[in-house]
Amino acid sequence: MAKHVITCGINGAAISAEVDSGQTLLEFLRGELSLFGAKEGCGEGECGACTVMVNGRAVNSCLMLAVEADGCEVKTVEGLAQGGKLAILQEEFVQHDALQCGFCTPGMLMSARALLDRTSDPGEEEIKVAIAGNLCRCTGYLPIVSAIQAAAKREREETASE
Amino acid sequence: MLTNFEYAKPITLTHAVQCLAEKEREVKILSGGTDLLVALRRKQVQPALVIDIKGLKELTALTYTPGQGLSIGAAVCVNRLAEADVVRQYFPALAAAARVLASYQLRNRATVGGNICNASPAADLVPPLLVYEGVLEVVSQRGSRRIPLQDFFTGVKQHVLERDELLQGVFLPDTTDATGATGATGATGATSATGMTNVTDVGGLYLKQGRLKGHDLSIIGLAARLNAAKQFRFAVAAAAPTPLRLFALEELLNAQPFTPALAELAAQAINLYIHPISDVRATAEYRRHMAAVFVRRAVSSLVTAGGKQDG
Repeated sequence: MAKHVITCGINGAAISAEVDSGQTLLEFLRGELSLFGAKEGCGEGECGACTVMVNGRAVNSCLMLAVEADGCEVKTVEGLAQGGKLAILQEEFVQHDALQCGFCTPGMLMSARALLDRTSDPGEEEIKVAIAGNLCRCTGYLPIVSAIQAAAKREREETASE
Repeated sequence: MLTNFEYAKPITLTHAVQCLAEKEREVKILSGGTDLLVALRRKQVQPALVIDIKGLKELTALTYTPGQGLSIGAAVCVNRLAEADVVRQYFPALAAAARVLASYQLRNRATVGGNICNASPAADLVPPLLVYEGVLEVVSQRGSRRIPLQDFFTGVKQHVLERDELLQGVFLPDTTDATGATGATGATGATSATGMTNVTDVGGLYLKQGRLKGHDLSIIGLAARLNAAKQFRFAVAAAAPTPLRLFALEELLNAQPFTPALAELAAQAINLYIHPISDVRATAEYRRHMAAVFVRRAVSSLVTAGGKQDG
């Protein structure tokens, strides 16, 4: 297996690592960096449990080679909380009971984070479109949509009060 | 871990086509990876060399030149089309298809070139590219050639590219008349502020039926366009072994008076020109039914827009 050295940002920290050409970004995050937030559900881009942000864009990390992340800024669910305190988005997921088993949650959160980064006041339809690639098999989507709406509102209020 | 292959990311077209010209080893092109990585994982393909084309600036450019057209690099991702103002304004059917292809995450990776070269009968971007009369730009070590998109597909997942050829991009001629482009107010068919009649397309749309509202392949997809000369253009996905431009339906409608009655005529006629099958997603009968529903809806909407332009 051919090896490649990649340099990328992972949740704000610059790293350099040797990866195999056939290694997916998801395998690299979990296997080499012990970032276990992103999950492998289907491994084929259907379920969204592996969603992370690459250069600010939500992507399925199971469908991206690790070597393709060279030069990129990668953000995973582990990068949301700061200083041991959950981010607003995470707090609202808790508040709204937007998770049960939690398997889809890291992917949901990253799709939601990418959405709120591109629009501060998304409508319900926009939220549904943003998470259409994230399957949840237990909670149901309504609390998740509510949590994202509530987080958007709180983030706007926080920005306004700054 | 996927199968064992070598990975190369050329930064010049010369190097890229040189890699592709290798005869001894199987070579696969990696664009967005949303189809290739699935095939690698399932071991349906086992290339010795994978060439990542996202480092080629010719393939990542999206350039609109008023009066000439839109040049879309093969490695431009679907969300860039969905979000680009020039695409939304001048090629609305393409922007509409880009918004409904797969899921948001996949649209951030999946590319125009990949959607074309994967050659799925259900490729969502192809019907709009057909109604905008797209021309493919193909390069290899032997030179370059241009292929009208309508001549590209030869069957399910089959196309005319040779194994050493690389799709560089697709060119769409401008939907505005070169002489009137500056007065244009958009693709909705309004009169411009200067009082000059708009010479852009009257409108264009893409209608997609999936099994569910979210991420799914099309049961049927229809692109419809009414150009500035009030000529219809139609193309369908998932209604034949390849995406199909419906020339005969266009001729039928374009020979008739421009009235609301065209919608019903189109609905009755479309099934003469499509060849849907029954599969896991829908029966042939349902596809035929939805094709008629969609074309009636599309023509009705475009005739209304065209009528407003006259009024």
